[in-house]
Amino acid sequence: MGIFSTLEVSGSALAAERARAEVIATNMANSETTRTAQGGPFRRKVVVFSSTGASAFRLLLTGYNRLIGRAPGGVRLVQVAEDSAPPIVRYEPGHPDADAAGFVAYPNINPVQEMVDLMGAVRAYQLNASAVNASKQMLQQSLELLK
Amino acid sequence: MALIPILQLLEGYLGVAATRHQLIVSNMANIDTPGYHTQDIDFRSELRKATENNGRELIPAVHSVPGLLRRPDGNDVNLDREGLLLAETQMQYQIGVQIMKSEFHRLLSAINEGK
Repeated sequence: MGIFSTLEVSGSALAAERARAEVIATNMANSETTRTAQGGPFRRKVVVFSSTGASAFRLLLTGYNRLIGRAPGGVRLVQVAEDSAPPIVRYEPGHPDADAAGFVAYPNINPVQEMVDLMGAVRAYQLNASAVNASKQMLQQSLELLK
Repeated sequence: MALIPILQLLEGYLGVAATRHQLIVSNMANIDTPGYHTQDIDFRSELRKATENNGRELIPAVHSVPGLLRRPDGNDVNLDREGLLLAETQMQYQIGVQIMKSEFHRLLSAINEGK
């Protein structure tokens, strides 16, 4: 615990939200991709966030042993999972990836949903950036005492 | 009590404000974490605890905030609440620092015989 660890907490959120925005960008870029290394069309990616407790080592060092596992902490990207929704099938007999019946499987990506997700990620990023600023100002004020 | 009781009180006050700031920052970081509940401390009782113990920092009693709207993913962090509290805590901290600063100036002026 301490004012410096708040910067770590906000930093973890900034990193997580940035990763989320990157995953959303991947989804939007691949909205028409019909070929992937695993075969089949691209599958929509979703991020999984998990909250992390404050570092146990730091708590031990600062004498807050009793808080291990209970102190609030930051956030962590634990997994980039694949959306299980089935692909969208369109009838395009001339397409090189069409099946015998002339259907092509396209990724199940909804641009509106991706845009809304992206806005959410950007807002959360801004929120945490302003939290960093607030922590910085408080630190600065404490340093003023030394003058 | 120490030589300058008000400084000790202020230390406790700043400690409580910093703890609350940390909780708010943590809530903000977890705004998209499924199942996360908003955490907070009771400022008044924590401040009393800190002042009764001569400004020594104690283990804060952290609790989940009741009565917040829970989203379908189980998360109940309210952006407006956290934003307002962030500004409020920042101001509280600033007040503490400013009073502490003026206290040091007073001490200095006594040392300098009011010159």
